[in-house]
Amino acid sequence: METLTHIFNGFAVCLQPINLWYTFIGVFMGTIIGVLPGIGPSAGIALLIPVTFGMNPTSALIMMCGIYYGTKYGGSTTAILIRTPGEAASVMTSIDGYEMARKGRAGAALAVSAIGSFIAGTLGVIGLTIFAVPLASMALKFGPAEYFTLMLFAMTAVSTLTGKSPAKGVLATILGLMIATIGIDLQSGQARFTMGVAEFQDGVGFVVVVVGLFAVAEVFRGLEDIYKGTSAQAMKISGSLWLTKEEWLRSIGPIWRGGVIGFIIGVLPGAGGTIASIMSYTTEKRLSKNPDEFGKGAIEGVAGPEAANNSDTAGAMVPLLTLGIPGGGATAVLMGAFIMYGIQPGPLLFQNRPDLVWGLIDSMYIGNVMLLILNLPLIGIFVQLLKIPSGILYPLIIAISVIGAYAINGSMTDLYLILIFGVIGYVFDKVDIPVAPLVLSLVLGGMMEQSFRQAMTISGGSPKIFFSSAITMTLVVMSVISVLMPFILPKLKKYKEDGKDE
Amino acid sequence: MADRVIFVGILVLAGVYFWATSQIPTLEIGDPLGPKAFPRLLGIGLLISAAMLFAEMVKAKKGGPEAEPEAAEPQDTSTYKVVAGVVVVTGIFFALFEPLGYAISTSLFLMVMTLYFNKGKRWTNIITSVVYGFASYYIFTAALGVNLPRGVLPF
Repeated sequence: METLTHIFNGFAVCLQPINLWYTFIGVFMGTIIGVLPGIGPSAGIALLIPVTFGMNPTSALIMMCGIYYGTKYGGSTTAILIRTPGEAASVMTSIDGYEMARKGRAGAALAVSAIGSFIAGTLGVIGLTIFAVPLASMALKFGPAEYFTLMLFAMTAVSTLTGKSPAKGVLATILGLMIATIGIDLQSGQARFTMGVAEFQDGVGFVVVVVGLFAVAEVFRGLEDIYKGTSAQAMKISGSLWLTKEEWLRSIGPIWRGGVIGFIIGVLPGAGGTIASIMSYTTEKRLSKNPDEFGKGAIEGVAGPEAANNSDTAGAMVPLLTLGIPGGGATAVLMGAFIMYGIQPGPLLFQNRPDLVWGLIDSMYIGNVMLLILNLPLIGIFVQLLKIPSGILYPLIIAISVIGAYAINGSMTDLYLILIFGVIGYVFDKVDIPVAPLVLSLVLGGMMEQSFRQAMTISGGSPKIFFSSAITMTLVVMSVISVLMPFILPKLKKYKEDGKDE
Repeated sequence: MADRVIFVGILVLAGVYFWATSQIPTLEIGDPLGPKAFPRLLGIGLLISAAMLFAEMVKAKKGGPEAEPEAAEPQDTSTYKVVAGVVVVTGIFFALFEPLGYAISTSLFLMVMTLYFNKGKRWTNIITSVVYGFASYYIFTAALGVNLPRGVLPF
């Protein structure tokens, strides 16, 4: 009953004109960031953190979450019109969506992704609303040992499920944790790994790491493509922006199934939007009476994956808000934003700041309605963005990154760091080391060490505490399984790659 | 090939990290673990990732040629030179960032980059670069209160 009151009060918060305005700004920027190839939600959110400093945290977080789920809407547009996913998770849409566009049905492809995204996105937020309170109250009982093992599980799942090589995922995770140990140790006051750089005493800022790895590195890759002459041209929107009755009937099933798949994948740590859309695509292909049509412009191949990657974002908000543990790269950046505003996401937030949590969750219902309008009747405006020559766009992204990085402390060290992390991100991409696990463990590193030391203090230095309760045992076993899974279950990996090849 | 370099890199990094951890001074008061325990655990984590990578390399070798199709693909080294050039230009931009100020250094950086990567549209590039450099300076400093270096400009 109390929860219902909180949910309604949340609407009172998010319907305030100022918060409606920031919801709009967020989803509007999210659509832009989604449409533009080369900059994703992680970099977009990270760049906004320093600029929005001093804003009311509720409004700022509403805006940043708007960017996060808004990018998924925008990403499909680019996938359909230039066959390049504007955002990683829309990779499956670029197969059949682009084929539809070639056959003069770009309008229908855009319409089904917007409508599918809206239905599944809203479905996801309903799921978030339902599951938030029970999960948060369960998490209230967690002690430091439970938190440590939970983070361990989140990290192992992310490191083995992103990228091609689990070993390199684990490497990226450890590197992120190592970066997190740089700076003054808060418990002993001892400086660690500062390499004599005074600025490192406060640690390496996570904004500069994210901007470097996600924005600057992406610019290097994009400029490389321009030099190689592989940048593509956008197709015109053809056909009406609506669905025929037959197209609608073919799409509704994939949208529902994709929505459910996406939400479940989103709640679980590790997998994320890309895998959710691949799973939806392979599911629809298996269920289809004409599987041959897939890859040649089947509307089911657009409707399902688009639905999946949108409900995935709502699902991914579940562990972030209720447990305070993000399950992937982009939610890790969101968590970084929460912390920058002095807000610790997690079960206590539901008790202490119900206005903020529910204002944020409820704003996602409204944001999805706004996104439907922006991405259907108004999509023509955003398509104009694809006309910006990438030779101008990429240098501009560096210029924008510079403002974001410099604005944090006004420090030149931060500028050079985004360049260094840009180079690292570029090289890591070439050698298949994923960067999402690094960002996740960087954000969680401080908390993880703290809960480790607290648990060990409670137990008087005995590591047995991590095997003492049913919860910690389960989480430890699941962590071990997720590390070993790629070795003992090569079949699963094959299934994943089959999906990618199609 | 790249994997072998990474493998050796991890081992070197682990060595350096263990050494750096041992250099952290400790005062054992009230904190049974101290600031060294967690970093030591991370060093072990690095070694685990090296062992996993080794296992993957062995598996890939057993898998024969089909496991390594990428190695055969010839990589044009001139693309790396372009990326290296971009890194150098960006480094120079940062070096001039405070002396010249945000507006001028950003305009110059954008001009150099767009003239190279967006060939054939000289005036569009120059105008965009200058307008963006000065307009964004004004918007971020005046409207959003972000602190950006003024440099040689009087305003």
